[in-house]
Amino acid sequence: MYFQQLLLLIIHKFQGERSSTAPYYLLKGKKSGQTIQDVTYFQLHPYFSLYPKLAKETYEEEIMKLHAEGFIIMNESMIAITEKGLHQIVSVRRPFYNGWILRGNEFIFWGRVELIVQTLSQFQGNEKKFVPVQKNNEIHHFVKAFLHERDFQSKTFVANFKKQLFHLLENTQLLEIHRNLFVYRLSGYKNSGLTWEQLASHHHITVLDVKFLFIECLHILLNEITEEKYPDFHALTKDIYVQTPLTDSANKTSKLFEKGYTIEEVARMRFLKRNTIEDHVIEIVSVNPNFPVGSFISDEQIQQVLQIAQERQTKKLKIIREEIPDLSYFQIRLALTKGEEING
Amino acid sequence: MDKLTEVLTRKFGYDSFREGQKEIIEHVIAGQDVVAILPTGMGKSLLYQLPGYLMEGSVVIVSPLLSLMQDQVEQLKMLGEKRVVAINSFLSFEQKEMAFRNLSSYKFIFTSPEMLQNERFNHALSDIRIAYIVADEAHCISQWGFDFRPDYLRIAKWLQHYRQTNVLALTATATTNVVHDIKDTLLMREPYEYIHSLDRPTIAYEAIEVKNAQEKLAWILGRITSTSGPGILYTQSRKKTEMYAHELQKRGIRVAYYHAKMDQDDRILVQQQFQQGQLEWICATNAFGMGIHKDNIRQIIHDHIPTSIASYMQEVGRAARDGAQSIASLLFTATDVEQAFYVAMQDFPEEADIRLAYESNNIQLQLPETTARILDYWKEELTEQETTRLFQTIKQKKWTEIQGLYTMLQNGVCIREQLLHYFDEQLTNRPKHCCSKCSLPLQEILVDRKQLSEKSEEIDWKIKLDELLHS
Repeated sequence: MYFQQLLLLIIHKFQGERSSTAPYYLLKGKKSGQTIQDVTYFQLHPYFSLYPKLAKETYEEEIMKLHAEGFIIMNESMIAITEKGLHQIVSVRRPFYNGWILRGNEFIFWGRVELIVQTLSQFQGNEKKFVPVQKNNEIHHFVKAFLHERDFQSKTFVANFKKQLFHLLENTQLLEIHRNLFVYRLSGYKNSGLTWEQLASHHHITVLDVKFLFIECLHILLNEITEEKYPDFHALTKDIYVQTPLTDSANKTSKLFEKGYTIEEVARMRFLKRNTIEDHVIEIVSVNPNFPVGSFISDEQIQQVLQIAQERQTKKLKIIREEIPDLSYFQIRLALTKGEEING
Repeated sequence: MDKLTEVLTRKFGYDSFREGQKEIIEHVIAGQDVVAILPTGMGKSLLYQLPGYLMEGSVVIVSPLLSLMQDQVEQLKMLGEKRVVAINSFLSFEQKEMAFRNLSSYKFIFTSPEMLQNERFNHALSDIRIAYIVADEAHCISQWGFDFRPDYLRIAKWLQHYRQTNVLALTATATTNVVHDIKDTLLMREPYEYIHSLDRPTIAYEAIEVKNAQEKLAWILGRITSTSGPGILYTQSRKKTEMYAHELQKRGIRVAYYHAKMDQDDRILVQQQFQQGQLEWICATNAFGMGIHKDNIRQIIHDHIPTSIASYMQEVGRAARDGAQSIASLLFTATDVEQAFYVAMQDFPEEADIRLAYESNNIQLQLPETTARILDYWKEELTEQETTRLFQTIKQKKWTEIQGLYTMLQNGVCIREQLLHYFDEQLTNRPKHCCSKCSLPLQEILVDRKQLSEKSEEIDWKIKLDELLHS
């Protein structure tokens, strides 16, 4: 139910202006112009790239269930929430996510915590040779360095680390189920963590619900961690926030713009289509409101587009363009992206 | 103490060698090619690890199964050996470059057959001193082996650059044909051969013919709920692993399923739970088993006829590592033969696939991955007619093997004798508890299952956190 409510919430935010694949690409974190631009249009930052491994079939199954329940209506070009669907989400707790800047990296944080707890637990059990649950080599190196910088075999370190973890989990933003999922997934000396399936059956919820609750738990914890309150855990958040939320390709384009090249020139230099570079522009503007757009569209034109969008209560490019055929789709998209920044 | 035993104690923590180990190691150190066949759990890894400490240079281990490679690296690291690296497709470009630059600093270099074609890797290898080369899971080289990897055949060309370096080929099961292929492909010169008996006297065999799937399920539920594990129930599909686990769970068994489609993290957790005794049983596909280091497995149950005798031996061989009495039970129906053949032929190229492969250069899109990989290889080596004929022969052999296995289960002859006979071995000592055709007093082999005290499975994160980290 939890995941379905999340889906309903996202569908609601799309305001009936996108097709049924849009929420899927959003959760997967697809780095296409359309998805990135929608994040800004519809204020979907929390949900971007929440679950890159989401399978299309799984997603479609959930959508079909929502449809069968009458919570949504859909056709080939759009998906929207119904009155009945709205009732499902009005009174529930708003989930807390930070997808835009975490993008799945919360699992790096998790892997570090998991390996540290396993190591400390094994050392307490006096069995220093053990197979790590965590297989990622980079996490191994990180944790090794982390532990060596600290007196990790001392009682005080373990006690202190545990205390920080305990306080972190007592955070009132978390539900009891969040805390249980987090701790029961951990492994230690003669004490393995539980699989998603086992966690789900213990709590009588679906595997998908478990995974999204777990991700939410990590996002809430990360949001809570400050250097003053949780010094050791703060160290574990190193490099997990996305610095430039731009894709590598858009980043290259951005650098060329800074040097003063035009769209055509950039396209030629990078052997890319003009469309792709236009997508990059939208992406850059979404991320960086100060990026100058004067060479692509005038302030007046932006205002014009926003006014039409306002009057007609739509963000559909086709409808807007019917009124100002002089502007390209790219210019309309750009205007709408700028508009979100002004209003948002 | 002699030098070998000293290293054995210092590096590996054992007091004495097991049967055959010392001779094999001595031949490796003497610079001779060696083929060694030892059943699973008889200390195969020691054979390629120990000589490394007495010889100059690095040991290059070619291993066709990526998951196994990971496990071997972990095992070495657990022994305190830090100079280990695994070079395979999991590494990023930068990680590979880094490994190539520092290649000589590693004592043990694990790699996959496909990497042997990497020029940068070969260049790096040519600059370092290699003590000897190990071909692990060598049966995968042979098309007659149950786990044939065509990529592995490329090792032959690669080895031409290392004619002066001796090779150690290791496998758990191989027929005479397979041994012949191994020696041939690895360009071995009068190798020392060590073939350990494949017999595991403390594993009793039990074959049970039933009428249908319902009877199978009833038998399995009865056995697992009344007798004690730990055990592995092998089945053929992911769905069935889940079905069995679910049915057993309902009856109070601590059980989990295991198959290749699960998240890697979850697979590791299930393995650990089983190893630590949190689970009594695992319901698994043949994906389960590699890298399981559990000594006290008492029961192995198959609900089907396996696709090869060698793979059956490997799966059964996971029981009784501690040498205590265990039992392997196989349930089958008359129609299971066809099913086994169907499963064995799943990725097998049909005549039409072969024609397609020779006509087009882009078969990856049209054929299953394994099929495409196999055909890509043979296309370079053989004509279309030859390939077609080759696969007809293999198919025929496969059919004969599975039929043979079925007959073996059905006839009145001792199962142990027949299994050994398949590997050209004679049974010399019949154990007291042999098989269901000889004598099998189940009450002496199986232990009644103790009902677990109904420990309330209350979930409380504070309690679990205290268990993990004491205050």
